[in-house]
Amino acid sequence: MNLPLFKFGAFGDEASLLVAFLIGIGFGFFLEQAGFGSARKLTGQFYFQDMAVFRVMFTAIVTALLGLFYLGWAGVVDLSMVYVSNTYLVPQIVGGLLLGVGFTIGGYCPGTSVVALATGKLDALVFVAGIFLGILAIGMAWPGLEGFASSTDLGRLTLPEVLHLPFGAVVFLVVLMALGGFWGAGALERRFADRDPADRGEEPS
Amino acid sequence: MSRPGDWLARRNGNQRLALVALLLGAGALAIGDVDSGGRVTLDTRELAAIVEGELDHVTPEELADWIVAGRADYRLIDLRAADEFDRYRIPGAERVAIPDLLDAGLSRDERIVLYSEEGIHAAQAWMLLKAHRFPAVYILLGGLAGWQEHVLYPVEPVADAPIAERAAFARAAEIARHFGGGPRAATTAGAALAPALPTPEPPRIAAPVAPPAGARPAAKRKREGC
Repeated sequence: MNLPLFKFGAFGDEASLLVAFLIGIGFGFFLEQAGFGSARKLTGQFYFQDMAVFRVMFTAIVTALLGLFYLGWAGVVDLSMVYVSNTYLVPQIVGGLLLGVGFTIGGYCPGTSVVALATGKLDALVFVAGIFLGILAIGMAWPGLEGFASSTDLGRLTLPEVLHLPFGAVVFLVVLMALGGFWGAGALERRFADRDPADRGEEPS
Repeated sequence: MSRPGDWLARRNGNQRLALVALLLGAGALAIGDVDSGGRVTLDTRELAAIVEGELDHVTPEELADWIVAGRADYRLIDLRAADEFDRYRIPGAERVAIPDLLDAGLSRDERIVLYSEEGIHAAQAWMLLKAHRFPAVYILLGGLAGWQEHVLYPVEPVADAPIAERAAFARAAEIARHFGGGPRAATTAGAALAPALPTPEPPRIAAPVAPPAGARPAAKRKREGC
């Protein structure tokens, strides 16, 4: 069996939609189970009051990282065939900032907004409508944006290549970073627990 | 008095998971690198089965259909010399010399179609890529000569040929014209067997040719990611 299945023609376009649907259902289920269908929980991250987003994301990263490393080591997965998207340095920094600002203001990221919509949240409906409007706007402005979007293309970069470290060393560093982050997350939560997000730091008169 | 067992028993589930992650991470540090880049592995029995089953072939007609349909899920690699490539190339082809093959930015998750003049270089390049664990490498059957023979200049069937054959030819002729070629008249009954016809100079690929009716516009290269 040749992986990746879709790219090498194991199933066609129609079947790929079904596969995507099933994976999407699974993804959405676990996001909802983690509490990510709630804008309050999600934005709690940005006020350091609820670090669940950080914990869940870094747990996923560490799980996938260790899994891929050991499966690659055992010869089960050919790591050279795992898709790595290109690094477009400046557009990705700009896009990341935009996403962060939108996340903080709107309370959702694209995936979690769909999860929240599925549980019937009205704010998510507005958010998803905004996504489609935004897609339309980007599509119409694309001829002017295309040059920027593909600028500073550094190709397929991975941390071991950039840091000139063995893959295993990077795995260890990321695990240390995650564990340190989990420990720090608890401290941050305790420190910011009482702060009201609506409070802009002004003393009540 | 405290044994490691007691210490472990006092940890909660999250702390135990963190410990597992830490141990696995330390193991990864000890293992170092997973992929030893230049190593060559060959499963000769598997390769023989592929060759025997002709699973590694793409016929010129199939490739022509892919191009007309605007498929972008493969890379077409021309292995010939630069001047030959400049004179004529199959639409969408990129030129890569065999010595540069492994540094040409090909990735293992792509479907790669190779062609050369007749096919020998393509077969050698196929072996080279297979040895470096490229799983989806194909050879254009008959090379550029086969492309000329079957796609650019298909031979018209004889007058008393069955209907199905004549219908297939009508489509082949349309595709030939799409690529700037055209059908050849059958001179003798053995025309297809004896390609003694003077090889016509293939046309240069000029401005984009209008696709035949029913063809989808050329698709963009598939993008991935979230």
